[in-house]
Amino acid sequence: MSSVKLIPTGEMTLGPFFPREFAQGANDLTLLDGRQAPGEVIEVSGRITQLDGRPLDNVVVEIWQADSRGRYDAPGFAGWGRAATDADGLYRFRTIKPGAVEGRLAHIDFLLLYSGLMRHLQTVMYFEPGADPVLDAVPAARRELLVAKKTATGWRFDIRLRGEGETPFFDD
Amino acid sequence: MLARRDPATQPEGVVAGYAQTAQRWPAEPLLRRPPTRSELSGPADLRRRLAPLRGDLAGQGAKRALGQLIHLRARVVDEDGAPLAGTLLEVWHCNAAGKYIHPNDTNDAPADPNFYGAARLVAGDGGLVELRTIKPGAYPVPETRGWWRPPHIHFSLWGRVWLSRLVTQMFFPGEPLNQTDYILNAIKDPAARSRSIARLMPTERGPANALVYEYQLVVRGRGATASLP
Repeated sequence: MSSVKLIPTGEMTLGPFFPREFAQGANDLTLLDGRQAPGEVIEVSGRITQLDGRPLDNVVVEIWQADSRGRYDAPGFAGWGRAATDADGLYRFRTIKPGAVEGRLAHIDFLLLYSGLMRHLQTVMYFEPGADPVLDAVPAARRELLVAKKTATGWRFDIRLRGEGETPFFDD
Repeated sequence: MLARRDPATQPEGVVAGYAQTAQRWPAEPLLRRPPTRSELSGPADLRRRLAPLRGDLAGQGAKRALGQLIHLRARVVDEDGAPLAGTLLEVWHCNAAGKYIHPNDTNDAPADPNFYGAARLVAGDGGLVELRTIKPGAYPVPETRGWWRPPHIHFSLWGRVWLSRLVTQMFFPGEPLNQTDYILNAIKDPAARSRSIARLMPTERGPANALVYEYQLVVRGRGATASLP
């Protein structure tokens, strides 16, 4: 078995016609099988823009996070969600505030899929700055771009794909 | 740990001829981060969040979609060739005239009332996913100088961990438009490119009246589980 070494399939863009029904209906992580997940319910939202500043419609945003106690794939909380941006470039999740994972600050992993993105982009949202091996991999001047802003209704995490204030993205 | 992506077998971010890539792919180089439990874990059963939908896009009898009937056999494996039974896979493609069921599609081609081009499937034993559908058509890309997309089928699938996510497109053999497609040719290595093209199998091996295509999807990761650092 270990002698086989296959090369991962080449990634290609989602394109402009990802079915709407796929992109909708999975942006509320607080309920699983009709049950409320334990922890603090929060809203995470933000605007996604491109180089010329234009907000992007129908960007597919997927997230992965720990539960309120910092556990992945724990009973009662699936930790995975998907949303699509609206015509104003806004995505919105209703979720549980994650607890700190061993060795990491509390965070949410983000993955973006869109027409014009040949491969998916990955980034991370934090609730506050601090020592974290992934945040430490970002040049100091850009770290604040990964820290969400607290608002009256939740947490705001805007994403700039390219250009001024470009969000730091990770290769892996 | 997962191996780094090989730039020769993965597409470049900014692709000449595909204008949106220059607006959307980051200008800064992608950052390398140490793998932690977050990236090397993933939802054990995504079906709890995304329900499987449809298993046959071609239909039957009076409800049969227009176009050439095809039977697709795709196998989902990891880099060791180990099958990923139970993994979720989303499939979508346009109809035989090159039209998607999507409000963004402005192509002047007819809809087919008997074709709905989206399915969500679960890989069975051996990582096998089978789909009965029709061969998609080619279509022109708006606001370009004559770029036509060759017939292709979109896939979105999950491996065992967050870093295994794969979104890609499958092409058909013998299509002249494969030579000029900016998306397929964004993969520089010819062997890697050829692996994105399905294989036409002997027709006697398949169901009646359908062309059988086989394909392999290789997600990142090795062995039964990705090892933590």
